[in-house]
Amino acid sequence: MASSDVVRYRSPLRSLVNVLVAIFLVIYVVWTVLPLFVMFVSSFKDLLEAFKLPTVGDWSGITLFFDFTPTVKHYQSLFLDHNFSVYLFNSIVASAGSALISVVLGAMCAYSLSRINFRGKQDLFFWIISTRMAPVVAVMVPLYAIFRGAGLVGTIPGLILAYTTFNLPFAIWMLKGFFDNVPYAIEEAQMCDGATRFRAFLSILPLVAPGVGAFLVLCILFAWNDFLFASIIGSGGAKTLPVATKELVQPQNIQWGSIMAAGVVTTLPMMFLGLLIRRYLVAGLTMGAVKE
Amino acid sequence: MASVTIDHVWKYYGKTEAVKDLNLKCADGEFLSVLGPSGCGKSSTLRMLAGLEHISAGDIRFGERRINDLPPKDRDIAMVFENYALYPHKTVRENIANSLMLRGASRATIEQKVKKATELLQIGHLLQRKPQELSGGQKQRVAIGRAIVREPQLFLFDEPIAHLDAKLRAHMRGELKIMQRELGTTMIYVTHDQLEALSMADRIAVMHEGVLQQFGTPQEIYDHPVNEWVAGFVGEPPMNFVDCLIEDRGGVLHAVHPSFAVPVTGSQEAILRDSAHRAEVRMGIRPDQIGIVTGDGGDAVAAQILLTEPLGGDMLVDAAVGQEKFLVKTKPDFQGRRGDACRLAFDTGRWHLFDRDTGLAYF
Repeated sequence: MASSDVVRYRSPLRSLVNVLVAIFLVIYVVWTVLPLFVMFVSSFKDLLEAFKLPTVGDWSGITLFFDFTPTVKHYQSLFLDHNFSVYLFNSIVASAGSALISVVLGAMCAYSLSRINFRGKQDLFFWIISTRMAPVVAVMVPLYAIFRGAGLVGTIPGLILAYTTFNLPFAIWMLKGFFDNVPYAIEEAQMCDGATRFRAFLSILPLVAPGVGAFLVLCILFAWNDFLFASIIGSGGAKTLPVATKELVQPQNIQWGSIMAAGVVTTLPMMFLGLLIRRYLVAGLTMGAVKE
Repeated sequence: MASVTIDHVWKYYGKTEAVKDLNLKCADGEFLSVLGPSGCGKSSTLRMLAGLEHISAGDIRFGERRINDLPPKDRDIAMVFENYALYPHKTVRENIANSLMLRGASRATIEQKVKKATELLQIGHLLQRKPQELSGGQKQRVAIGRAIVREPQLFLFDEPIAHLDAKLRAHMRGELKIMQRELGTTMIYVTHDQLEALSMADRIAVMHEGVLQQFGTPQEIYDHPVNEWVAGFVGEPPMNFVDCLIEDRGGVLHAVHPSFAVPVTGSQEAILRDSAHRAEVRMGIRPDQIGIVTGDGGDAVAAQILLTEPLGGDMLVDAAVGQEKFLVKTKPDFQGRRGDACRLAFDTGRWHLFDRDTGLAYF
């Protein structure tokens, strides 16, 4: 097997490019990681300490940033005064629920579209994708009217349904590609071995697990980070973390400490999920089992 | 065990006719090979037998039971696929045990049957491996193991050894034949390789463009092809064909070509005279049915050597007779060289004459 490494030869231009790439990467890391770092550190600071900033150009004043007495009072206030445990629960249930429903229904639908030929299949497939073409804002008002009529506004099932509406077409579209890559002969062998069609479908799921896993995470992220649906469909009884965080901004009193702490509470689970699933995803994608 | 009856079966894909009015009967315990080039309908036939394709028209029966409407799992068949179709995420043991697990066999039964199958196929040491850690030959054995472990009433093999290298293929031909004889299970074996069909099958069904051309024992197919297409497809190296005219010369029918005139045998003459034959025919003769000697003169057909190909045990000679080219198979000690004159003697007892329009054989 040929090496997959790109062969590179030394040259002055190459060295210059390497330096430029390194500089770019340093700037990029600072740009993306610093805000998270500031958020994390600030969430443990008192309000006065958080606003102790050095003057511009005074690099020695950078120690001011780390000169504080750690406190967890913002976290206490979130969970004791602001009911964040409820909102955290809402966020988890809404995002995991819609992700699960989307993946289960999406996988079955994608499988059918991948395996069975019927009249109007192309049109149906296009219609499914086309539901994602309109921006969410454009359908918000009619959607709200429908949900209110059905008594779903401000409920967790309503929120799950709203997220599923938008995740499902995406799931079908993505998962169909994964099923297309699985040789049909494997299911045929299963059916000859004595499996029903449904059993054969279940038997090839391990082969599309990387796709299903990746997609599950995307669905969860979409719902977890969503603000628009949560603020309109979920308003009232089904408040999620982003909406609750936004409500910490009040006309008289912007609770910076609590907002930072809420940011940490919102971000940490997703980071943890990413780390958890990363190794599995990479292992799954390089399994190479689908190829003949 | 069961016999298989294919009764006026058609298969359409849209407007394309893949299988046209197929009639076959495979006896209980028989090794039947379906032979034909790609696109001849042989795989469609096998997939209809397996239940992976709908039967567009006609009936298929296993024994007395009509199976048209049964799903694959209820047909009690086992199929081996061209690309093996092993479950990539399962070990060899799980692959082989799969069908037993699906029907809820006990752990002890599974263990015992897997052991028996893997011993027969000599893959006992591979049980814990995954398919991607196996070579092509090993994968193929696992696929066969998966088929035999459930002791079906019918084996369906779809070009199972087409992707193996030549040496392993020759070895597996022998093994498959022994295995089928030992198990005694009815086998339908699809292949495009005439050597596989000839060497393994009890009977061969030759298909072309969806139509069954000939159904018979390997020897019948080889010695008495019913038409020009079968004659040309079966046999390696392929048969020589030359356009001839049938002429009556002094009361004896001759196959006449601008470069030669060869009399037919007595029994062949009788067939030709009975069958209201046409004058335009096509003569077919296999390379090993032509004798070749160097030198001029004599009453044999004069020719010129174009090329000699020593193959170790045999020698192939390309010889030109007028504008026609004949391929001749002879002994490796043949001394002729390119450009030499030579003489060809046709073994008229074994040659064939075909109708030039319909391609049907007179003999």
